[in-house]
Amino acid sequence: MVEPSSTSATAAAAPGASGPAISARSLTLTLGSAAAPVDILKGIDLDIAPGEVVALLGPSGSGKSSLMAVLSGLERASGGDLSVAGQNFADLDEDGLAQARRGRIGIVLQAFHLLPTMTATENVATPMELAGSEDASARARAELEAVGLGHRTDHYPTQLSGGEQQRVAIARAIAPRPDLIFADEPTGNLDVTTGEEIVDLLFARRAETGATLLIITHDRALAERCERVLTMADGKIVSDRAGENP
Amino acid sequence: MSARAAGLSWGDAWKLARRDLNARFKGLRLLVVCIFLGTAALAAIGTLTASIERELQSSGQQILGGDLEVEIWQRGLDEEELTAISALGTVSGGTRLQAMAISDAATGADGEGNAAPIELKAVDGKWPLYGVLTLADGREVAAPTGDNAWLSQGAIDRLDIEVGDRFRIGTVTLTAGGIIDDEPDRLSEGFALGPVIIVAEDLPVRAGLLAPGALYQSKYRIAFDDQGLDPSDQAAALEEAFPKAGFDFRTRDRASPGADRFVAQMSDFLTLVGLAALVIAGIGIAGGVSSYLDQRRASIATLKVLGASSRDIVRVYALQIAAAAVVGSLAGLATGVMVTPIFGAALDGLLPVQTGFVIEPAPLVLAGVYGLLVAFAFAAAPLLRARAFPAMALMRSRIAPLSRDRRALVATALGLALICLVALITTDRVELSASFLAGAGLALALLAALGLAIQRIARRLPRPTNPILRSALANIHRPGAPTGALVTALGFGLAAFVLLASVQTAIDGNIQSRVPQEAPDYFVIDVPREGENAFKGLVRQSFPDADIRTVPTLRGSVLAFGPKDNMQRVADLERIPEGGWFLNGERGLTYSDETPVGNTLIEGEWWEPGQTEEMLVSVNVDGARALGLEVGDYLTIGVLGSERDVRIANLRQIDWESLGFNFTLVFSPNTLNDVPHNLAASIELNESGNAAQIIERRGELLRAMVRRFPSSSVVDIGEVLVEARTLLEQVALATLAAAAVAVLAGLAVLMGAIAAARAARMYDTVVLRVLGASRRQVLMMQLAEYGLIALALALVALGMGAGLGWVIITQLFEFDWLPDWPRVLAVLGLGLAMVVAFALGGSLPLLRAKPAQALREL
Repeated sequence: MVEPSSTSATAAAAPGASGPAISARSLTLTLGSAAAPVDILKGIDLDIAPGEVVALLGPSGSGKSSLMAVLSGLERASGGDLSVAGQNFADLDEDGLAQARRGRIGIVLQAFHLLPTMTATENVATPMELAGSEDASARARAELEAVGLGHRTDHYPTQLSGGEQQRVAIARAIAPRPDLIFADEPTGNLDVTTGEEIVDLLFARRAETGATLLIITHDRALAERCERVLTMADGKIVSDRAGENP
Repeated sequence: MSARAAGLSWGDAWKLARRDLNARFKGLRLLVVCIFLGTAALAAIGTLTASIERELQSSGQQILGGDLEVEIWQRGLDEEELTAISALGTVSGGTRLQAMAISDAATGADGEGNAAPIELKAVDGKWPLYGVLTLADGREVAAPTGDNAWLSQGAIDRLDIEVGDRFRIGTVTLTAGGIIDDEPDRLSEGFALGPVIIVAEDLPVRAGLLAPGALYQSKYRIAFDDQGLDPSDQAAALEEAFPKAGFDFRTRDRASPGADRFVAQMSDFLTLVGLAALVIAGIGIAGGVSSYLDQRRASIATLKVLGASSRDIVRVYALQIAAAAVVGSLAGLATGVMVTPIFGAALDGLLPVQTGFVIEPAPLVLAGVYGLLVAFAFAAAPLLRARAFPAMALMRSRIAPLSRDRRALVATALGLALICLVALITTDRVELSASFLAGAGLALALLAALGLAIQRIARRLPRPTNPILRSALANIHRPGAPTGALVTALGFGLAAFVLLASVQTAIDGNIQSRVPQEAPDYFVIDVPREGENAFKGLVRQSFPDADIRTVPTLRGSVLAFGPKDNMQRVADLERIPEGGWFLNGERGLTYSDETPVGNTLIEGEWWEPGQTEEMLVSVNVDGARALGLEVGDYLTIGVLGSERDVRIANLRQIDWESLGFNFTLVFSPNTLNDVPHNLAASIELNESGNAAQIIERRGELLRAMVRRFPSSSVVDIGEVLVEARTLLEQVALATLAAAAVAVLAGLAVLMGAIAAARAARMYDTVVLRVLGASRRQVLMMQLAEYGLIALALALVALGMGAGLGWVIITQLFEFDWLPDWPRVLAVLGLGLAMVVAFALGGSLPLLRAKPAQALREL
């Protein structure tokens, strides 16, 4: 297993970044039918600097996952302005958002969401291949080595433990060297010990690349490891403070 | 033991089943559609056939034109015979013969009009005894009188005349009085070498067509005074009263044996194809029921947790499946009945069909039985699998499929065996049906093996670097992939398409290319013996290089056969032995001093030319063997009312492919040359020159022959081949339509497979979209996957279909392998296009999936 080079969440800003990594103004999201709309996000204003490590706290139903979905381009906002890595997301359609994600945004999800018909290497290589990289396989293997899975490169997801699957998911998110990484409850399906290892790994790999990191978590201790802690309630950001143990 | 411990009653099981069953059969729709397709096809085929058969039976009098028909060649009835049949009721007589008609309008350079071979039907004033002749202008008319004639549209077209115009037959000039629209006894007249012209009874004599030796048939139809008389009994009585007369009989119950045979054979064949399609649909049923029970896993587990036994579970879900099967069957039966009038309208003029909606219980019950048997056979396996495992194993089967239960395979095999049994006991052609079922079973097994092989090959192929292609290829061999089922289900229908198209086009190709090269250009009937040299001279005047062969022709029948002291009378046979077809009725007879061209002596010797010591005959060796005849045995033949005992001098092998004159019985000249008869001729023109000149010279020759030999009739082989090709095309279309049902069943299986795999596909699509794949790339993935499957299907269909076609054409028919490949590939391409279109259509929901929303639901 690879020891993280640093457990600190402090990191240099992403090289070459200028202006906020994320800039949102009056962001809203309404879901459901016209007869019964549900306001999920109710006017979010937010700036995140390049290289920042930010935690997103809040009870279930507060809108954390929905905010992450909008910021990462998985969902189109219903209103407001949003600029991510210099791109105006409000102007983009579904395919435009997909294209915007390629190579620039890495996403780690609670349920791993690996492709069952692909090996670990192929899963990690896929986003780079979609972005047109020619050395995707080699980079994928290198990233798997970096997350401690150099001996599992040709295994399928069903042959890996939960922790190993999440390592592959992290490798997949980081291998393209994105500007931003979003992690939604990355330890939610793991035991405590494995979860801690995964968090350490995530922070370490992020530190080496300098990417901006936004983590959704229920874990207060994890939140305090971040530079900045945002708390959401009822679709709004109700608190924005520095982490206590960055 | 308490009632609860004994398990759910059927009534309680139905209560539970009804609660859980969606009113619109959501989850079981594939089963409903598959049963519907199969039973609709079988119901339509069965209803249409029964409707035609019923109409043939009930309209027998009209189709035959009487209750009993007496036919005789080359003479009319004598006074005694006429008195005997007249005692039964009203008699209408007439003659049938091939003749030539020529229009009065000058169209050729020789100042003559168009000449055309026709079927001349001369009828007396009492015709038709049953039914009415309707003309195209709406008039209902009786027999023509004087020099008036009713012409078929074909005759009008060939002569290029209109109503009111004049034309000649023999030495008589006639007037086209009207165009026949509905001839009540057309179907019983059988196959004709030309369009029909109906004339007054005395016309053939007046036109000089019935000279001694002419080939004509006299037909006498009788309308019984006592409708209670059995026509078969009366026919037997007449046969007994006039054993040497050479009568052929036809009764109102079998007014058109040819049509009866054709309908029965087509029905058997189409039913078997429909049954094969239903069995293919069974693959969809198995997949659909598996999928349905998979979705019900939580419900089943909960029922088991609450105390339901495995038997209870089977009862509940068997009732749901049975309800869906019954709904599908009833809808299919109703649809089959409703579409039958459409097919009936399409057959109008070709075969008699009851108009309007027809409810024939027997075929509908049979179609329903087949539908339910297929549902049972293919639903049993997944039902029994679900039964066998405890609740927690069902929970885990999301990753590991439910393992196989041998009893399930036994149930499926039992269901299939029952289907085969029902098919065999409901057909008259048991051997043929058994062969078809065995062949279809083998084909399906082979396809299943090929499907597995394709999956293995896909697994072993190098993994593409492109993630879209990689996903597409992985979907072909991933655990639970329906590739095997798709190759089996779609491969059968597509291979049938290729088989039918390649066989039909190969036969057509042979007719087009080989037959014209080997067959003569014309056959001419009733060339007068004394005019043989003049005839040959006339032909060679226009075509100096023509090859002309003439043979004497008479009509007669075999009355007895066997060793001299133990001969068997044909009339005493209960059944004509297989291969002894030449014992049936009157045959063409000939005589010759030499072994005919294209024939080989097998046993015995040919007689010396001019020998007069004995009456001798040469018999086709296949026919002789069928009857156990040997050289030295005897035949008794009846010719023009006289019997002659003839010794078998030799047996010979006929090369039927020579397409020239081939006779089963060839006599020594002294046997028959005293009987009045004419000659038949074959003419190969060996023409040279440009096409327009050849056509002009052919027309001149035809008209010259009609002028010089008015009693002769010319058969243009080219025209006959056109008719044969048209008929072949129509039969091919009907069988292709039946095969299309098999393809539709395969498409239902495809849609079921897509629906079953939707969750897994959605998962993959969402993850790829999260990673940055566009909708276009997702579409390309679907296209790549189904394109690969289509490619595999194309290879399988071509291999199996064309391979079997080659065997049929070259080994069975001994033709050349001449399929029209563009047409075969077009038919296959159409089928594949439907497959890909359906597949992409079924995958559209994947493109519409929004990643964030889908992630929430996954």
